[in-house]
Amino acid sequence: MKFAKLILGAVAIAASLLTAPAAMADDPGPAAYSAALSGKRVLLVPLAMGFDLAQGWSAILKREVEAFGGTFETRDPNWSTEAGAQALTEAISSDPHPDVLVVMSPDLNSYAKILKKAQDSGIYVILIDNPANFPADAYVGSDWNKLGQLEAEAVIKGCGDGSSKKIALIQGDEVNATSLYQYAGIAKILESHPDFTVVAKPDSNWDATNARNAATTVLQQNPDICGIIDFWDGDATGTSAAIRDAGLAGKVFLVTTGGGEKTADCATLEDGTYGAVVMTDLARESGDMVAMIKYLLQSGQKPGTASPYIYTLLKATTKADLKPDTCWDLKALQAAAGN
Amino acid sequence: MERSFGWKSLNQERIVLAIAIGLFAVASVGLPGFLTAGNLVAILRSVSVLGILSLGMAVVIIGRGIDLSIVAVMAMSVAWYLQMLGNGVADLTAFALALAGVLAIGLVNGFLVAYAEVPAIFVTLASGSFVFGYVRSQLIAQDAVPVPHGHWVEALGQMRLASIPPEVFLFAGLAFVAFLFLRFTRWGRFVYYAGDNPVAARNIGIPVRPMLVLRYVISALAAFVSGLLTAASLQSINSRVVNSTLLYDIVLVAVIGGIGLSGGKGGVRNVLYGAALIGIMLNTMTIIDIPLLYQNLIKSTILLAAIIFDGVINPRDEQTAQQGDI
Amino acid sequence: MQLRERLQAWRYNLIPDHLIGEILTKRWTDNAIPFLALVITVATFGTLIPGFFKPTSLQASTRQLGEFSLVVTGLTVVMLGGGIDLAVGSIFALSAFAAVACFFIFDLPVWVAFLASLSVGVVFGAINGYLIGYLRLRAFLTTLVTFIIGRAVYDILVVTFASLVQMSSAQSNDWDFIGDGTALGLSVPVWAALILGIITHIALTRSRPGWHVLAVGGSRRSAYNAGIKVRRTVFLTYVFSGLCASAAGFLIATRLSGAGPGTGQGLEIAALTAAVVGGNSLGGGRGSVAKGMMGAIIVLVMTNGLIRMGYGTGTNQMVLGLLLAAAVTIDIRWLKNRHKVLNEVYVAPVYLAMGPTQSAEPNSGTPYALNNRLSQADAIGLGALEGPEDVILDANDHLYCGTRHGEIVRFFAPDYTRSEVFAHVGGFPLGLAFDAKGNLISCVGAMGLYSISPDRVVTKLSAETARSLTSIVDDARLRDPNDLDIAPDGKIYFTDSTKRYDAHEWTLDSIENRATGRLLVYDPKVGRTRTLLDGYRYTNGVCMAHDNKSLFFAESWACRIHRYWLEGPKAGTAECVIRDMPGYPDNINRASDGTYWMAWLGMRTPSFDLSLRHPGMRKRMARRLPQDDWLFPNINTGGVVKFDETGRIIQTMGDLTGASHAMVTSMREHKGQLFIGGIFNNRIGRFTIEGADAGWSGTLSYWGAAK
Repeated sequence: MKFAKLILGAVAIAASLLTAPAAMADDPGPAAYSAALSGKRVLLVPLAMGFDLAQGWSAILKREVEAFGGTFETRDPNWSTEAGAQALTEAISSDPHPDVLVVMSPDLNSYAKILKKAQDSGIYVILIDNPANFPADAYVGSDWNKLGQLEAEAVIKGCGDGSSKKIALIQGDEVNATSLYQYAGIAKILESHPDFTVVAKPDSNWDATNARNAATTVLQQNPDICGIIDFWDGDATGTSAAIRDAGLAGKVFLVTTGGGEKTADCATLEDGTYGAVVMTDLARESGDMVAMIKYLLQSGQKPGTASPYIYTLLKATTKADLKPDTCWDLKALQAAAGN
Repeated sequence: MERSFGWKSLNQERIVLAIAIGLFAVASVGLPGFLTAGNLVAILRSVSVLGILSLGMAVVIIGRGIDLSIVAVMAMSVAWYLQMLGNGVADLTAFALALAGVLAIGLVNGFLVAYAEVPAIFVTLASGSFVFGYVRSQLIAQDAVPVPHGHWVEALGQMRLASIPPEVFLFAGLAFVAFLFLRFTRWGRFVYYAGDNPVAARNIGIPVRPMLVLRYVISALAAFVSGLLTAASLQSINSRVVNSTLLYDIVLVAVIGGIGLSGGKGGVRNVLYGAALIGIMLNTMTIIDIPLLYQNLIKSTILLAAIIFDGVINPRDEQTAQQGDI
Repeated sequence: MQLRERLQAWRYNLIPDHLIGEILTKRWTDNAIPFLALVITVATFGTLIPGFFKPTSLQASTRQLGEFSLVVTGLTVVMLGGGIDLAVGSIFALSAFAAVACFFIFDLPVWVAFLASLSVGVVFGAINGYLIGYLRLRAFLTTLVTFIIGRAVYDILVVTFASLVQMSSAQSNDWDFIGDGTALGLSVPVWAALILGIITHIALTRSRPGWHVLAVGGSRRSAYNAGIKVRRTVFLTYVFSGLCASAAGFLIATRLSGAGPGTGQGLEIAALTAAVVGGNSLGGGRGSVAKGMMGAIIVLVMTNGLIRMGYGTGTNQMVLGLLLAAAVTIDIRWLKNRHKVLNEVYVAPVYLAMGPTQSAEPNSGTPYALNNRLSQADAIGLGALEGPEDVILDANDHLYCGTRHGEIVRFFAPDYTRSEVFAHVGGFPLGLAFDAKGNLISCVGAMGLYSISPDRVVTKLSAETARSLTSIVDDARLRDPNDLDIAPDGKIYFTDSTKRYDAHEWTLDSIENRATGRLLVYDPKVGRTRTLLDGYRYTNGVCMAHDNKSLFFAESWACRIHRYWLEGPKAGTAECVIRDMPGYPDNINRASDGTYWMAWLGMRTPSFDLSLRHPGMRKRMARRLPQDDWLFPNINTGGVVKFDETGRIIQTMGDLTGASHAMVTSMREHKGQLFIGGIFNNRIGRFTIEGADAGWSGTLSYWGAAK
């Protein structure tokens, strides 16, 4: 009897042991996750696919989206606003249309109406890197004003107290939010440093040759400049060439901003071409995008319900701060993503 | 023809020269720091690459053609060259391949214009688009391709002779060579004959077609040289330059100095005048710190004034105008 | 042998080779290459992109196409006028800004924004037009500079006013409808492009200003010398282009509800590419709105398609570059070589086995045996005449004939030494006949049927018949009206020898031997021409039978005479009365004894008969040899043959010397004499017919004694 009880008890325990894992494994998460995400279509439309940040985003997004069973596509408008608008229009009207649009807007206004339409037809819109005059489901990217402030602080620090305290700005253009907000940020910091003067602020139109010609003239007129802020590392190569031409390498502290790609930013910091680079943390920025995509697709909310700003942490990096993992390597990333 | 200095002796060339000199004089007096050796070198440097491209363009235009592929060839040949270097291809092989590509484009342009008799504007528009597209999509990974460290192109960019960068010397040298070619060699004179009246030139036995091919090869080579110089000074080459207004600037420098788009007229002198005007104008405006947008407006308005002035004092006639001359 | 010939007959008579040549003669084949490119492009991307053809997708994707087509249409008109407009991108952007500024900043109604947009375009276009049209500046350079100016102004405006636009809360249903709405399934830009395209097409092809544009583009100097206001025309093309670009700018402003710095960038190159890919030639004069539209579709479908398929930067430009190069090269080569190809392939010979014939050798004893009678004819107008194909005499015995100079010459009776030009008709007057009122009716080669009244007024009677539905060439047109005769009721029966060749190319028709000859009737009461019979190998002479119940007509290349019944049980049908003659029959006329005269323009030869059974050989000959070396029918020996109603041959006359009447194309009996004409001859022959009725004349026979 006792034995039988024992047996029964053992059986019961064994049975409960056997069934218990099933009960414990009943986590609703994966099923819901998979139901909400698998088969979803994510479309990335940057300004162009031909620069480091876009390729970095694309590589990370592709990896993540394919991991949750979605499809990831990109469109390459190659810097053309019209082509981008058309690509978005066609994406919205295509069948099946994408579930999430990840868009880098060329300016504040051009895409606003189309993106509104996308939200109306049930597509979540995530704006990246360039703000636009439109309540997106999320803005993921830099706070350009803050970025400008960091640049200004970096150049003030780079110039130091004993310098001429004259600086120049090589702006992008006068149209893009990135350029306008960056300038506003710089102006804000300089207000509290009245001893610093901006001697010139030409535009490069994001072109290295223009930047070089403008910087050459500025340096010619003001050889005692202690620092230059160039608004993008894409054309800062021109500015640095002008500094080199003028024989002022090491004397003019060049600050710029970029995506933190190894050859574009870290290598140039290393060899002293740039004094400081305000870098976007690509991995974190892309991670934010992925998180937003996953959140939105599961939220069940109507597109356009909320428009949060997810600013990426910015940091002015100098040669002294460089660590082996400060920058990311585009080639390695692309190799890892398999394209 | 008797030389006169009345209104009628003013043509586009002289107007442009006068504006350039006037601007130079005003800037020298009015702008501190304009008339310094350093600034003059900066002016020269800023127009050197443009000038070399314009020389290539001028040779083509004098022969009644136009090369709209010049910027694409300039940027993409060098971008491909640098990309090959980055991929570990031996320098000599890479250079030979890039040069072969450049020659091939020149030959194809020339062949289509000369033998297939397709208008130059379309051939080069198409080939420029193709060269950009093919290299960008198939051969290089990014818009911008950097010069590898320690490469001779980098060294070229840092070389100075009496603190004057090498592109100035190259521009001067190539301008002189082009001048000698156009003025003193038989084939150079033939360029004018072929540009002025291709049919007559052919009838008197000038090898018009092979020479046409030669001109496009020359402009492709000028583009390659300019591309190397650009890469040398910027330590990288950005293929986006193809979409910029550089092409228009080249045509303007070549044409504004007085080289007629209908061919047969003008020479190296005109390119120099055009380059001088553009260089002085841009430099002055940057010194005054005029925003780029207004610089474009001012530059183009002056150019328009110059061609209108030329049009008014040298009107074209319905009876002598050439058909299809746009 | 039998099988080989049968195969040849099938191959050449059943496969319609001639259609290739006929298609090539069509102007619309100019559109074939761009159209083919269009079909291939749309088909390719339609298959590669899922959902490409879904209406919702098309509606969205064609908005941009509508705008782009507008710009291309404007540019096409400028190019047709011999210019180029690179400023379209700037005009587009500035107009878009004008619309946006009016609507968002100044809160004006949509129609004001629209008008503001258009006026920006018109003003900008007028500046270009003034500089290029009136000041005669160079189009390329001038519009390049105004393009840069426009761009700079636009960029400054956008920078200055962008924030104001963004802060505006202007709303309008009209604005949203233009930007987003559709009417009858098509979006507003597509409607705009379609309507403007149709209007422009009609204006270009069917209105005076349009013709002026084409004339100026085709040849500026000639247009100027012809009195066309060249400057104003050129001016207007740029204004039009500005208008088109600004309409497109307005549309994009409504579509995007804003204007950004990138608006209209690169548009000029894209539009130029589209216009050229469509097949419009630079330098003017050749092209059409349809071509521009096709180019616009090709370029946009390709660009957007490649982007949509996820191809990276550069692929687009690569494909477009290849496309442009291929399109232009093919277009240029096509234009240059089309007529050469046409010349080579147009002649498409068919198979024909001629039946065995009786000998025409002198003294061979057959009815066809030639004698030397014609060599003894007296010559009229020797050396003064060129090409009297047909001859005829009026009631006053004056002699009329046509010449290859397009004149009707009259020789005065009785000695026919004096002559005058009776009337100038033009073309090549061939067959002649007098009607009841004494009007001279003539079949004029390459022109049609004409009437010349006694007081020399030339009137066109007919130049066309009903078009057949299956024909590719326009067979309504009379290409080679050859001979005629007139029935008592006034109806004019006449032949049109071939649909394939013009009158002067009749020898080519003999090489081809295709049965395209027709018998037609012109009814003066209704003034219309009807086709009675079709499908004969070069219908030629026509002659009313003496009883007017039937008519005879000759089928030259088949060496046959047919009788077509006008009355009786066989009315409306034709029967062959003489077949397998040794000569090629030409005109037929009445003889005084109730029989008929027939002219032979040439004689069959065994070699040419053999070649008719080898169409492949004739085709190679036509392609590879110069025309001088071709094997033609023998037209160096002809004759005059007399036959009766049953087709019995009564008499055959020839000129064995070949000196005076080697080739005979007509003869006319008049008061006992026979007058002989020949299309390649330099005289009219005359001799007395033994035993003929000296009082008989054609006018009497047809119309009786003069009232």
